[in-house]
Order: sequence, then C-alpha cells, then structure tokens
Amino acid sequence: MQLIEETRMSQIAPPRFPKLAASLGERYTESDFERAFYRRDLASVPRVLEAMLARTTPHAVARPQNAEEVAALVQYAHAHHIPITPRAAATTVYWNSVPTRGGIVVDLNALRGVVSIDEEHLTATVQSATRWSELETALNRRGYATLSYPSSAPSATIGGWVNMEGHGIGSLKYGALTQQLQRLEIVLPNGEIFQATPESNPLLSWFVRAEGTLGIVTEIELAIRAKPEAIGNHWLAFSDVTALQRALVALATATPTPYSIHFSDAAHLRLLRDAGFETCQVFRNLTGLEPDTPQFQVLVTFDGSAQQVAAGAQTLKEVVARCAGETLDASLANLEWMERFASLRLKRAGPTLLGAEAWLPLNKLADYAADLARLTGAQRVPIATYGAVVTPTMTTVMSVFPSDESRTINYILDLSLTKKIYDVAFRHGGRPYGIGFWNAPYLHRAFASRELAERIARKRQLDPLNIMNPDKAYKPAFLLSPIFFDLGMDTLALARRAWSANR
Amino acid sequence: MNSFNTGIDHETLVCARCGYCQAVCPVYAALGWESTGPRGRIAIARQAARGAPLSLDHERRVYQCTLCGHCREVCPTRIDTCDLWLDLRGHLAAKGSIARWQLRVVRDNLLAQRNITGDVPENRLLWQQNLETEIPGLNLQPNTRVVYFVGCVAGLYPQTQGIPQALSQILAQAQISFTTLGSAEECCGFPLLGMGLEDIAADLARRKVARVKEIGASVLVAACPSCYHTWRDVYPHLLGEPHGLQIKHASEFLADLLTEQRLNPQPQETRVTYHDPCDLGRNSGIYDPPRQVLNAIPGLELVEMAEHREHALCCGGGGNMEVVDPDLVAAIARRRLAQALETGASFLVTPCQQCKRTLANAARAERTRLKVFDLNEFVWRTL
Repeated sequence: MQLIEETRMSQIAPPRFPKLAASLGERYTESDFERAFYRRDLASVPRVLEAMLARTTPHAVARPQNAEEVAALVQYAHAHHIPITPRAAATTVYWNSVPTRGGIVVDLNALRGVVSIDEEHLTATVQSATRWSELETALNRRGYATLSYPSSAPSATIGGWVNMEGHGIGSLKYGALTQQLQRLEIVLPNGEIFQATPESNPLLSWFVRAEGTLGIVTEIELAIRAKPEAIGNHWLAFSDVTALQRALVALATATPTPYSIHFSDAAHLRLLRDAGFETCQVFRNLTGLEPDTPQFQVLVTFDGSAQQVAAGAQTLKEVVARCAGETLDASLANLEWMERFASLRLKRAGPTLLGAEAWLPLNKLADYAADLARLTGAQRVPIATYGAVVTPTMTTVMSVFPSDESRTINYILDLSLTKKIYDVAFRHGGRPYGIGFWNAPYLHRAFASRELAERIARKRQLDPLNIMNPDKAYKPAFLLSPIFFDLGMDTLALARRAWSANR
Repeated sequence: MNSFNTGIDHETLVCARCGYCQAVCPVYAALGWESTGPRGRIAIARQAARGAPLSLDHERRVYQCTLCGHCREVCPTRIDTCDLWLDLRGHLAAKGSIARWQLRVVRDNLLAQRNITGDVPENRLLWQQNLETEIPGLNLQPNTRVVYFVGCVAGLYPQTQGIPQALSQILAQAQISFTTLGSAEECCGFPLLGMGLEDIAADLARRKVARVKEIGASVLVAACPSCYHTWRDVYPHLLGEPHGLQIKHASEFLADLLTEQRLNPQPQETRVTYHDPCDLGRNSGIYDPPRQVLNAIPGLELVEMAEHREHALCCGGGGNMEVVDPDLVAAIARRRLAQALETGASFLVTPCQQCKRTLANAARAERTRLKVFDLNEFVWRTL
C-alpha cells in the first residue's frame, strides 16, 4: 500500500487474545476499524435499541481457513470462556450472525469451494461458506444440479442454510435440506471436530436449524441430482385469495410435483411499480391489467424430463380451469424465474423494508390474507405478501411494508407492526421462520414446550459454557422477554395506529 | 436492466446488505475482510452521507476498488454501484483525500502534461518510430473521417506500444483512411473520473471533442476500453449534450472489417482464451465483436474461461488501483490467470492494454507459458 502520508498508528496495545493473533497472523484483527463492519446483518436496528440490548461489536475477528484452524480457535475460546459468533454471508435479519456479547466473530468465508463431486452416489462435498449459486454452477458444468436452494442463493452459504430452516426453491419436490444431508463436519463448542451423520451420536439432525448455537459447520456432504433436461415456467393470475389457495393446495399435491411454486399479491406488484421496476411495466403491457387490480400472481415451475415438464403443463391447465385462474404470457413467467433471486428489489420502494416471514399451513393462507388486510386497513400501511409453497401442506409467507430507517421515531413505531404480522400468522397456525435474537420473544409460540425443552437440553449438553453464539434461539434477552416485548410492541402499535389515523 | 443512482444518501439506505455483491467482488476475494467488499464500502458511503468523518482506513477501502461493475450486475436492488463509488470518490476528493495518496501524482501529471505518466506530449509519437511501413497522414490529418484515439497507456508505456503499432497497420492494410491526434492527444479523463474529479475531466472532454471536430472526423476508434467507455457513455453526460461522434471500439471496427472481407487472416492452429475487459464488457455491453474477430481466424479454437462475459473476473487493473495498491492488483490478476490456465489455451487474448499489462505481469510472475496478447496485436500477427 503506497500511502504518501503514513499516519496509521501501529497497534500499541498488546492483543487481547495473543495466541489467536500469533497463530492466525494477518487473518486476525482487533482493529477498531475492521471490527465495526461485523456488527450488522440485514436488519436495520436503531442504534439506541442496539445499545440497550447487546454488545454487537466483537472484540476480535478471525478468518480461519480450515476445520483445524476453526477447532484451535474454538478450543481457545472454550478454555477462556470467550463468546463466539460464527458468520459467513450474514444474510438473515435475526442477528443470527451478529455478536451480542462481543467476543470473537469467526468469519468463515475462507472456507469456500466445492471439495468433490461423487458421481456414483450423487453427492457433493463442499466447504461450509460455499455459496449456493457457486455449487449450482459447478454442478451444472458437470451435468448435475442441487436438489433445492434458497431464494438468496447468490450469497447464502450452504452452511448458513443448514443452520436455518432450509426450505426454498425446489423444496416442494425434493424436501427440506435436512433430508438431503449426508454428513456434516462440525467443530463442537469444546473444539472437537465431529462428523455428524444420520446415525451419529449426536445425530446430524441436532445441528440442522440450530442457528450456529451448537457448533461451527466446516464441511457438508449433500445429495445432488442429474441436471434436469427441461424446465417449464408458468405465470398464473387469480382474482381472489380463496381461488389462489385452492389452486396452491391442488398444485402442491399434483402429479408431477412442481419444482417450485411462488406467489405474490397485488400489493407486491404495486410496490415494484412504485420502485420503478420494469417487471411491473412488462406485466401491465402483457396483460392490460393495471397493477392496482386486486390480483394474485403465481409462478409455477416444473423441471425434469421433457415429458415430465409437458405433463406438468397439462396438470396446471386443469388446476387453472378448476380454480378460475388465468394463464398469463409465458415470457413473463420466464422473466420472473430469472428474477427469482431478486425479491429484495422491493426494498427500493422503502428505502427500508420491514416485515415478518412465517411458516404457515397452506390451507390457512386465505384466512391469513384476510386478517392481514384488516391490519393493513387499521394501520394504513401497504403490506405486500409473497411466499413459496415448500411442502405439500405448508408455505412460507413474507409480508413486508416500506419504511424509512433514517426517520428513527417513525421507524421504531413501524417496528411494532412486525409483531402484529406475526400475531396474524400465529392466529392461523403459523410460526416465525427463524428465531435468532429478534424472534426469541416468540419461542414459546414457535415451538411446542417439549420440543423447546429438548432443544435447550441439547444446548446444555454440547455447550455448557454457552460460548457458541449465545443469546440466540433458546431464550430471549431480558428486555425481549414476552411480557415486556408484548406490552412494548402492542403499545407502540397502538401509538402508530393513532398517529397514522391523524396524519 | 435499469440501474439507479439517486445519490449516496438514498442509495446507501436502499442497499439491502444481502451480500450478492460481496460474493463476486475481486477485491473481497483477495482481501477477505468485510470492509473490503462492496457491502463494506456501502457502509462507508453511509457514514459519508451522514457527515461522519472518514479515516485513512476508510479512504483506503474506497480506493481499493477496480470499478469492474460486477457488483452492479448482481445487485437485486439495482444500485448503480459504479456511479455510487465515483460519487463517493468525489466526496473524498472534495475533502482533500487525493493529496494523501499516490493518486496525487497522477492527478498532477494530468494537470501538467494532460497524460497519466507526466511525459512530454511529444512522447506520444514514440510508438510511431518503428512501424513496419510508413502510414501517411498519421497525425492530425485534416478532413479525415476516422480518428484513432490511442490513449495514454498504449501510447506511453513501452509494454503496450505494440497495440497502436498493430492497429494502425491493420487499418492501413484495410485501406482505412484515418488519423490520430498525434502529440496533441490528451488523456480521455477516465483516471480523473476515477478520482472523483469530474470537473477537470469535463474540461478535458470539451477540449478533445473540439479537437476531433476540427479534423472533420465523424468516427472515433479507441482500442482502450476505458477511453471507449468514457467517450461513448460519459462525455455526453460531462458535456451536457451529445457530441455527435460515432464511437467505436477497435474490436467492433475489426469485426466490421473482417465481415467486409477487407482483412484476410491466415490460419492459426492454436487454442485461445479470451478475457472480457470490465470497461468493454460489463461497463459497455460489448461482448460479441471481439469474439467474432477471433472466430474469424481460420483454425483458431476459442475456449471460454469458467467465468466470462457478464460474469468475467476482473484482471485487477482498473479504477486507478494500480496507483493505490499494486500488490492487490497482482493478487486479483493471479486469480484470473488461474482461470485462463485451466482452459489449456496457449494464448490469452484481450482487447485492452491495461488487462494485457496486468495479466502479462501475472503470467510472468507465475512463470507460466501462457502468452498474453492484445487483440490488435494478435490479429496483426495473422495478417
């Protein structure tokens, strides 16, 4: 670095964790400058709230390059009771990869790459911070494909998805990621490198959806498939949510099973229009419909052999006819498929987006939408909903609304609506899709008591010192305990409602 | 696909921090810290928008960017990140940042001699001294339809002076009547734009457009992708109006000449891989003409690298980064070179003098047998 005026001060203070500084060298830092970049994920949290709840700036950041380095680091943290926060792409909004007690952020992004592809057994082995799109590209070049991937595949890592819910594009046809995993290499909270399999003790399933609280995944072996010969995209419209739900239920259990079903409502289209996106213009040109028309759109994708894709098109035709739907131009369907990773484009309508993602029974979607419409009216806020059918009976729903984090008071009032949206989901059998730090107040509504107790017992067994990603997934922070959280958020929601009524 | 730039304040709020940009950033791939990727740079831009002071560490991260545009291609919120990085550099320039970095030398050279090296203007003619054949009217020939804009790097760096020699001889062989601005040529202003010094670049733009029009030319050919992009896409913005010139990259011009059968390349039984320069590909949308040129050479086998066209890896040589952090440039170039080597090609061809320099330096440092050529040089060998 050729700096004319060298004013950077050399680090005067000795490192806080000297052994790590010595062993990792340039891949370890305690610099104020670097550490500040590790205190966020996708969520925009007002500074005042952040400061009240957690210490989000780590004391150090380490970038290990292999499982052995991760293990040595964790052993050191274990011996010195130092909190660890594993982090790769940091693409959630629940602070899953944000420190809450300082400590060490373990940046796993150097563990990136496809290790091997086993063509005989149709499996791939990858390092944990490999992006889904990287794996898909590598597989496609050799005539293979992933079974499913998240809608954030360009940045989401395979290890990250293992630690979250693991439902996304392709899950309807091939099941959740859990079912595809053959082996996980994981560094346990005591620093042991453990090979978890469906038969190991503890079971591989313990570490799935554990949100980085039971160890650090370093390598993954998962099932793959032959690259599909053909793909068929179909774009449908429905005039009301009851028809939409009937169609989704029918499609979710149809033969052949669609690879993917994605739906969105008219508010979603309106937000896209407000944001200035061409998709909306194309939609209007092709259909002659104004985006204000109350409509639901569905993108259905079949893949496989040409015969399977053709059979899918026939099935779809029957469902559309039975459910009073309409088939729109295929070019629009292909355009939307190309945009399947761009759901965040909605953010341009913000500049901040707030909302809630829930796991919901598919046959409750119409009730959820009707209830949400009441919230929209009461709070005078345009809530857009989209989602993906991920099992024959369940769907994910993301309901979002525009806000502006730079207007702090209004933004804090808006935050209260996220709870209101979750309340709607709870009323119809739903639960939050991911817990982390911010959804911990909903733990008792997200899990049955027995299930939660079992999860807590696993945590106590594997991480008795509670160093591995503490304050996530098991117990809310004191100020987020349900009694304070519910009271605070409901009061704010009332204030917001009064404010919006008077505006 | 449309991109947006509504200003630093709004765009840094629009950023979703999704990290799509980080996954493709060549600087992040080389350095690895969160601060080194576009997501980190947006966080710095947010601080700038809020009026918070920026340290030298912040400035370093802003300048450690090749302006390759890969982040813009993948941004789901469609932030025109390249525009945003230039705005951010403009913000730093207004705070006197350039004086704290080696960039100051380039800026001073441009102000004093109107080129990046500080050479006297007459040195722009050095490449003409050992042409194989004399080309009449090579400098400032009035009433010539085509002006070949040589550019600072190709004209003044010995390592790349073969490029203007090759292109001018190709044009002569195809019996194209053309001229250059000779010693009166001045930098296109691209390095100034990369420092956020738009006003000075605008002054240079006005001078050059007037000079080309004095000649009576209607077509300007540039072999440098950055000069091409600046003339074609940035000058109308800087001038506030269209300049009325048809701007062509040399690869487009050569593709036309080959289509018209005005050139007759001899067979080359060899395997070639092609590197897309960022300013020609992602930043100007030119992907096919250089490939058409290579495919027009009989016997040549063109093999694509794993990542090409819109997804091509950057060579590391853009965005003034060579001045700020040459080690980082070398690290990025090594990564691209590795992809070229995977193809098993004997030649790596690229239509850019800067890509040629960075990749040839990497090939030399890595002691590979891969030969790195500019497209014009490669074509000239076949004629």
